[in-house]
Amino acid sequence: MADGSLTVDEVRRMAAEIGLTRLTDEHLQQLLRATHAARARREALPFGSLTPADEPAHVFSLDAGDER
Amino acid sequence: MTDFAYLSVGEAAELIRGKDLSPVEYTKALIARIEKHDRQLNAFLRFTPEIALEDARRAEAEIARGGWRGAFHGVPYGLKDIVDYAGLPTTAHSKILQGNVAATDAAVAHRLREAGGVFMGKLSTHEFAIGGPSFDLPWPPARNPWNRDHFCGGSSSGSGAATAAGFLPAAIGTDTGGSVRNPASMCGVVGMKPTYGLVSRRGVLPLAFSLDHVGPLTRTVRDNALMLDLIAGHDPLDPGSANRAAGGYTAQLGRGVKGLRVGVIRHFYTRDMQADAEMVAAIDAAAERLRELGAEVREIGTAPLGEYVACNRVILTGEAFAIHERWLRERPQDYGALARERLMAGAFVRASDYVNATRLRRKLTDAFHALFAHIDLVVTSSSMDPACRIDDPKAVEYTYARQSRAPFNVTGSPALSMPAGFSKAGLPLAVQFVGKPFSEALMYRAAHAYEQACGWSGMHPAIG
Repeated sequence: MADGSLTVDEVRRMAAEIGLTRLTDEHLQQLLRATHAARARREALPFGSLTPADEPAHVFSLDAGDER
Repeated sequence: MTDFAYLSVGEAAELIRGKDLSPVEYTKALIARIEKHDRQLNAFLRFTPEIALEDARRAEAEIARGGWRGAFHGVPYGLKDIVDYAGLPTTAHSKILQGNVAATDAAVAHRLREAGGVFMGKLSTHEFAIGGPSFDLPWPPARNPWNRDHFCGGSSSGSGAATAAGFLPAAIGTDTGGSVRNPASMCGVVGMKPTYGLVSRRGVLPLAFSLDHVGPLTRTVRDNALMLDLIAGHDPLDPGSANRAAGGYTAQLGRGVKGLRVGVIRHFYTRDMQADAEMVAAIDAAAERLRELGAEVREIGTAPLGEYVACNRVILTGEAFAIHERWLRERPQDYGALARERLMAGAFVRASDYVNATRLRRKLTDAFHALFAHIDLVVTSSSMDPACRIDDPKAVEYTYARQSRAPFNVTGSPALSMPAGFSKAGLPLAVQFVGKPFSEALMYRAAHAYEQACGWSGMHPAIG
């Protein structure tokens, strides 16, 4: 969904789907702005530069003390 | 009563050790100063003079019996109100947690208690270390001691304001996207975000687990190193804690910078963002001063500031929303508007975006750390602008994002903000030093040399 096409009604529906059902109209306007900002930040990241082998910064690991 | 407001931790410790300064008299003097001036600054969210006097009397009695515990015995301090102190509420400056009484001390509070520190109270923060400055919370926002009409930075707002105002020689803050270094920059004090994992986060309300750091704010570099000596060290109960020896942060002070290789990341504040002209001049002058002191200074480059910041925010908002999701479902009206909006930014961060941001984080971090094969220290901007007016929401929103601190939460690198002069309007300017992981002693060495050469840390605001 493009940023410009996201409306308050759509945000209200999306919010309800994740249990955010008590947001007022003012809160939904905030959520709309916040969602636009979050998407802009995601778009700023060069995810295309990642190769399949690039691991997350924090990966699950065990040390010798975890041997069972 | 003698004016003890701007005694450093080191000076106070020496006087107390020699029995030339009574911890009780020192504490009473600071209590009087706080009672007189904090109504204008709001640095304290919960001022606890009764606990302070009890701590001070205990310290005085122990020292009189020959039981001096070390360089923090009888010295006052405060904690940002997301740090647990047993028996007191940890509110995070929020209505949500008004009744949240801590059962035990945070690891950092425990260490300062064991060192014999005098606890003065809980300090103002942005709500949940993200939403501020706000006027719709149960407590007002802290203000800047250099001009109370101006923002004092955040989210460790009270920690910066109280230290600059001479209420305390040292305070503890936290830093997830720059929240120790922002108030340090705005208030003209020294703020260190240590290497990720060097200081335990146990008992500190999280904002974003993988980006959260705990660090000290002080008026001098030496005091900051002294404080880090007290609070650094492995904690097996903090899963992010680095299992390695810590300490010795004052060991290199006085050795100067001759021969140190300094890389200046100018593109952060001249190309990726255009900082205020006075700020640019101050940072460039700081680099030049290091050159005059004998460092080898050259300009270097790294990834664009925007990549680091976006990476920080995608990870931060994703992790923060996971923490706040239940409250946002059940009590959204109990948040202030700024915290609610900033936290809800994580509501629709996709799992793949979060994971890809952490994958990019590894690449950014590896590339940044590789720079240290050729340099010992980075100099760059902290804030792009001096403090704006606190009652101008548009200016706050504009300047809030104009910073280059978040990159070093992404990389986990130690990063220190310190005074670099003053604007024509009399507000602090700041420079940021960044090191390779666990190189805090070297960073303090360079920062101390710069501080001694410039003397900015000897300047204090005229309050009251």
